[in-house]
Amino acid sequence: MKKPGLTFYKSAAVVLTLIFVGLQISSPDIENPPVTSEISVPAEVKQILERACYDCHSNEVKVEWFDKIAPASFLVAHDVKEGRSRFNFSEWDKNPPSVQELLLWEMVNAIEQEKMPLKLYQVAHTGGKVSASELAVLKQYVNKLPGRHKIDTARIVAKNASHQQIAPSKTPVALNGIPYSADYKNWKIISITDKFDGGSMRVVYGNDMMVKAIKDHQLPFPDGARVVKVVWGKQAEDKDGNVLPGNFQNAQFMIKDSKKYSKTEGWGFARFDGLDLKPAGKTVLFEQTCTNCHRMFAPQSDFVFNIPTK
Amino acid sequence: MKFSISIYISALALLLLSCDDRNTATLAPDYLYDAGNQAVIKSIINNKKGTISMLYGNDLALQTAHDSLLKPNDGAHYTMVTWKQKPMPHWYGTNMNGEIYSIEHLKVVQRNDTQLAFDYEFQAGKGYQPGDDQPEKEQRIKLITSQRAAVFP
Ligand code: HEC
Ligand code: HEC
Repeated sequence: MKKPGLTFYKSAAVVLTLIFVGLQISSPDIENPPVTSEISVPAEVKQILERACYDCHSNEVKVEWFDKIAPASFLVAHDVKEGRSRFNFSEWDKNPPSVQELLLWEMVNAIEQEKMPLKLYQVAHTGGKVSASELAVLKQYVNKLPGRHKIDTARIVAKNASHQQIAPSKTPVALNGIPYSADYKNWKIISITDKFDGGSMRVVYGNDMMVKAIKDHQLPFPDGARVVKVVWGKQAEDKDGNVLPGNFQNAQFMIKDSKKYSKTEGWGFARFDGLDLKPAGKTVLFEQTCTNCHRMFAPQSDFVFNIPTK
Repeated sequence: MKFSISIYISALALLLLSCDDRNTATLAPDYLYDAGNQAVIKSIINNKKGTISMLYGNDLALQTAHDSLLKPNDGAHYTMVTWKQKPMPHWYGTNMNGEIYSIEHLKVVQRNDTQLAFDYEFQAGKGYQPGDDQPEKEQRIKLITSQRAAVFP
């Protein structure tokens, strides 16, 4: 076979240079919109977030010279866009207080599980890593947030007549079409939890298919598996150390159908709030927030946290 | 030369990808408890003891748990299952049930025309250590029969 001649290499080099230059011209610029409501946290916490997270999750992104060179610049622009869309330290008040606390716990987890900062960023930026002692500072901080020791002192509201008379035509339906249904009350319990952010205790039910899959050690879970989590506030601890459920807060559903819900990792997500069972969210995008978190932390168990594991 | 560069690049890519490991979880069905036809009354956390429990009851027990005076019913059966708490894997900030610590059965029976009596039975689970104290029977009966049902939608 004939070896490619010198002209071949020359023209290849010219083409590559042109592509490279072309990329630089179309290379995206990172803009920093105004800071409207910056997160307010103790200095030792802020300093960690600013150094390791602000480059993608704020309006104070500092771009290094090498980040401006295509194709890296495209990657950086994409990460900043995605990062800001998840949460933005410069527009922190856009999140209600309970969501702010949940996000802070999620950040601790993202660092502990080595999901954040993104790996490539850590490699390319000195100071892109969060050390073990810094993670300890963040853990200490989230454990002092008001939700950590929140006690439900309100009188316990039972279902009243208006709640009970949910006519079949009035079954609450989530914005992605998943209806509320009470049949989980006949299912088996797969897990019971004490969650630290927001002060709640939970009971998680699995339908027969879900329980069978756990017994058969079957992962990923089969289509038709369903999980329902019921959430209550926590009452004050009594003298023997017992903590009892307070008011009902919400019920959360996960329904496995790998085709129908392929966009959300094969699970249909729904949440119904309060005894009125008001469907969560303003638009169908609510389900993205559910998937984003379950995808990041529970891929090893088909995106379900609450399963018995050794 | 070109060959070794491509090997180097694919090795690097593999290395980066392999960091995103998806080790599959090992399921532990022996932590599940099948309460048969009994339904949930409520869950109870105890951080002093490091346990988390579920109180189940049959229809008569549930009736009591929904009664404002908590009047005991002849024929009520309760099951209190207690697990050791453990941190939830992959999520710092939640404790969940681990190994079963104990199972307590309580039956309300008619002793004579006027009096109800309680049959109480304690079973140790795998998480129960031989040196642990058994709970005091009368206290447990009182705890179990004084629980109001958690509010469900
Ligand atoms: C190089 C850019 C970059 C940096 C730096 C970075 N992130 Fe992210 N972050 C992203 C992107 C992109 C996503 C969305 C993609 C994903 O979920 O993997 C994300 C998602 C997240 C999420 C998930 C949010 C959700 O939607 O549920 C958390 C939590 C998070 N980041 C925390 C952090 C923390 C804490 C730091 C600093 C220690 C940090 N990130 C630094 C780019 C970054
Ligand atoms: C910030 C992360 C995060 C977000 C956002 C999130 N979840 Fe979860 N979810 C968790 C964690 C952690 C658990 C396990 C802890 C617990 O239940 O106490 C869980 C548990 C669940 C469970 C019980 C089954 C399981 O996976 O353990 C359901 C059902 C569920 N979530 C539904 C939802 C729905 C519906 C949404 C969106 C409306 C949502 N989740 C949003 C983190 C999240």
